[in-house]
Amino acid sequence: MTHEIALKLGSLKADDFLIRRSAIHWLCEDDHLCRAGEVVGFCSVTIEPSPNQRNAGLPMAGEQDFQVAIAPRTAGRLRIEKGKSPGGYLGIHGLHLWNPNQIIGRLEIPDDSRGQALEQDVRLLMLAGRRMSGLADVDAGILPGWHNRSRAWWGDEGPDRTLLCLGICDAAGIVRGNQTPFIEAFESTAEPAHLVYIPDHPVVPCAPVLLDQLLRSSGQNRAIAADLAAALGSDRTGTTSDDWLFAGALLSWLERSPIRDSYELVTPMGLRRIGPADAVLLSLSSETNTILKHKRLGYSLQMLRHRQASAGPAIRAWLGSAFEAVKRSVDDIRRDYRRLIDAIGQETGARVFILNRMSTSGYEDIVSYAPFDAPMSDTLENIAAKEMNLMLHDLAQECDATIIDVDALAAEIGGAEHLPDGIHHSATLQALLRSAMFTAWTPQARKSGSVR
Amino acid sequence: MLQREFLTMLFELRLTKINPNMTAGMVECCYVSENSPVKLGDKLFDLRVDLSAGFSQYCPPISYFRVVAREKGILRQLLVKPGDNVNVGDLLAVLSEIANEEIAGRPVRPLRVTTAGIAHHSAMWSARDQ
Repeated sequence: MTHEIALKLGSLKADDFLIRRSAIHWLCEDDHLCRAGEVVGFCSVTIEPSPNQRNAGLPMAGEQDFQVAIAPRTAGRLRIEKGKSPGGYLGIHGLHLWNPNQIIGRLEIPDDSRGQALEQDVRLLMLAGRRMSGLADVDAGILPGWHNRSRAWWGDEGPDRTLLCLGICDAAGIVRGNQTPFIEAFESTAEPAHLVYIPDHPVVPCAPVLLDQLLRSSGQNRAIAADLAAALGSDRTGTTSDDWLFAGALLSWLERSPIRDSYELVTPMGLRRIGPADAVLLSLSSETNTILKHKRLGYSLQMLRHRQASAGPAIRAWLGSAFEAVKRSVDDIRRDYRRLIDAIGQETGARVFILNRMSTSGYEDIVSYAPFDAPMSDTLENIAAKEMNLMLHDLAQECDATIIDVDALAAEIGGAEHLPDGIHHSATLQALLRSAMFTAWTPQARKSGSVR
Repeated sequence: MLQREFLTMLFELRLTKINPNMTAGMVECCYVSENSPVKLGDKLFDLRVDLSAGFSQYCPPISYFRVVAREKGILRQLLVKPGDNVNVGDLLAVLSEIANEEIAGRPVRPLRVTTAGIAHHSAMWSARDQ
């Protein structure tokens, strides 16, 4: 025997603004046996002024994509309530006023759970994306399209802390996830949180680039834009649409430091404004031993090679002529980190978490180091990674930085198995790292060192 | 015939599965030339393993490896050059124990090598257009 719990949307408020939602897009079939806290559907949300506030500025105005995902708080068999949406194009836009008492489904649970209430508000996961361009709109799916910033938050009273991810693929998998944006993080913790993700296209967020971005004046930003425009305008080889798109994305990245961003949150309790981020997550893998330095303007730049490959010929020519490659020793990288961490401390007081590097690939069979020239860290990836990890250990002793110990966690579970392509972490390793990140982020853990 | 095979000490070097998911690789650097001696510890090849085809993702899983000799020999046949794509199992080189050995016979075994993950560097074939 079973009994049913009615699943209600629950409260979502933005002060006096009206909240509308689209139809619910279910991520599972009717009759799905769901876990407690499993995201089962989502809807797109719009905010609009109420009749007496037509001139008020809309909250989250810069974020063109705002969605809410839903998750039952209890495990059970889901019975989906038939909606009233006409479907089609209208199914993806905000047709319905948000009604906290709206029953969207029912959950069948075993009779021995009878102590439970007959209805419950679902857990809400709020998701927002700021598009790289207004042109980059895609309607279907969870946070689809090209965003230069995406974020998610949850918690019945709204979160009071923000973690900003400025890493590359290793950090992205932990924070934004690789299945569906932010859902793995949401499902892994019941604690309120606000996660912000900045993608690495087209710039690698390494320490000198982030420091320049944080401290650059608007005049310096204008000089960068003018230099880039002049380079593309004077190019005789033929500037292509790939060049202009790349240039736009590059300027968008360089002009604004997300470390200073503050955020509006629509929550079950109302509209909140928080930020800047109180924690910043970085990847040691971003710190390459060569970076680009603009010969005249002096700013640093670094891009992954596959990103550079997506630029047109004019951008590639500009990168080749306007920049010089500057080598960085491990000590240089340590100094760059120190400057960045100190600057973040002064500007916002945020704590810095750094994912260290896995120092073995599992696909080597070195029996002797004799064949490899000194310094071996110039050649061998595993030695280079170990040196960088040691540098990070020293850094964490001298300033407010916490290491998320990828190397140790991977070794404990068997490294090679969890790097199936030799580079990227498995879901199991990501889950362990995510747990370590949340542990490091708790207020009680405000102590430098490493977390496993 | 059997006697001749035993007299010939040929070693082959084929592309092995460095990563269990790879099916091919690319020769980035070739450090040896035909009819030259190979000493213990000599660099032989730098290889690129790109798993993008099997692991389609926005961040291409590309790794680089160096193959180093763990025994001496004479490189008799070099069958690849930088930029060549080779399948797992393809023959890269044939070595013999002594210089004037007949190389028509069957290799007695694979050459003993060490494989190590390395950083991309400017002498690689893929760095030439940058």
